[in-house]
Amino acid sequence: MPSALAPLPDDIPNVRIACTVNGEPVVREAPVDCTLLSFLRDIVGLTGTKGACLEGECGSCTVLVDGTPVTSCLMLAAQVAERNVTTIEGLSDGNALDVLQDKFIETGAAQCGYCTPGLIMAARALLDEHPNIEESDLLTALEGNICRCTGYASILEAVRRAHRELVP
Amino acid sequence: MFHQPRDIDTALLLRSQFPDATVVNGATDVSVAINHGAMHPRAVIDLSRIDVLRAISHDGEMFVMGAGVTFAQLGRCHLRALREAALSVAGPAIRNQGTIGGNLVTASPAGDGCVALLAMGGTIELVSERRGPRWVNVREFFLGYRRTALAADELVTRIRVPYNPATRWYKIGKRGAVNISIVCCAAARRPDGSFGLAFGCVGPTPMAAPKAEAVLNAGPVTSECIARAVEVAATEVAPIDDHRGSAVYRTAMCRTLTCRLLCDLATGDGKGDADAFSAGAAA
Repeated sequence: MPSALAPLPDDIPNVRIACTVNGEPVVREAPVDCTLLSFLRDIVGLTGTKGACLEGECGSCTVLVDGTPVTSCLMLAAQVAERNVTTIEGLSDGNALDVLQDKFIETGAAQCGYCTPGLIMAARALLDEHPNIEESDLLTALEGNICRCTGYASILEAVRRAHRELVP
Repeated sequence: MFHQPRDIDTALLLRSQFPDATVVNGATDVSVAINHGAMHPRAVIDLSRIDVLRAISHDGEMFVMGAGVTFAQLGRCHLRALREAALSVAGPAIRNQGTIGGNLVTASPAGDGCVALLAMGGTIELVSERRGPRWVNVREFFLGYRRTALAADELVTRIRVPYNPATRWYKIGKRGAVNISIVCCAAARRPDGSFGLAFGCVGPTPMAAPKAEAVLNAGPVTSECIARAVEVAATEVAPIDDHRGSAVYRTAMCRTLTCRLLCDLATGDGKGDADAFSAGAAA
């Protein structure tokens, strides 16, 4: 995570950030240069969102802001003031998994699993926005998410199955 | 301090009051610098809540986009080179964040949006709280490696291009998405009939090829004329060797792309991008 990469100067001013995370109001202080990824993991304590490349190459840290997928390592936490943030923790309802989580398990779409939360959030945004999707929409929606285990076939199949379940 | 103005006047006032503040919109480039420990902003002005900066409009003569128009928005626009350049940037999530204004101000030699604007003949509105607005040609905006004509108290507010040009775009990279250009090229025949040609990743800034454009503008645009423009363009670029590609390869690709895009423009139906876009939508 960023804090492990480079020691932060200790004179960065804090800002108060009030937003909604997974339906719950959240109010926290964070350094002005804190990224949304670091805010979610280190300050809110939701470590489901993963950071890998920290430069926009991998898509691991994808979350939804007002339903739109964004790369959480590449935006500042303070930018989400008053917005609704959805992370992987916000998809399941207690022990009831989201259909995408179910299908990822069913097809064995996770190997090391590090890309999985980002892929599921990117796929969730696609299914929310476009009930009718073509194969090309699916490929475009996930083009920013890299799986270094190269498990793409089962990942795509999981999203296709989830789509079929939602739109029979 | 973190400032999130809702209108341009407030943003300009903040910009003049806090000249050391870091200005962000999508914040994608600034965040990379923060993650790498290269930058620790203590004050930030976030322009992402200024709705008017997200607007796209056109009358018969000009296509105007606010500086906060995202690559996702441009990926749906009528202008082909701009649309294809936008869709070649990163993946959908980053395209929801990154903006055309940020692309200009970051001034990376690999700035895909900058290359499209150079070919189309764009102008940029820079506004200062004290001095008001000025329009600067995109060609005069890039001063050197990641250096621009933007003054310390100015913000980029709008960008406009003559409407409705015929444009082409091609990017060479290592993969189909999340792809930083090794070379990219944009070509345009503008509404006044003049040609624009520009490249990315072949010099310290995104760059136009005015001598090759002059060959084309002297016309007639025959295959011989295009062949001369290709040779001239290859003398105008100044690529370096780096981990993405060699200077020799990049120069060779400049020739290939110049030839390909200009032949495509010359043999096209002569219609502007918007007409082709509408025809596509109707079909």
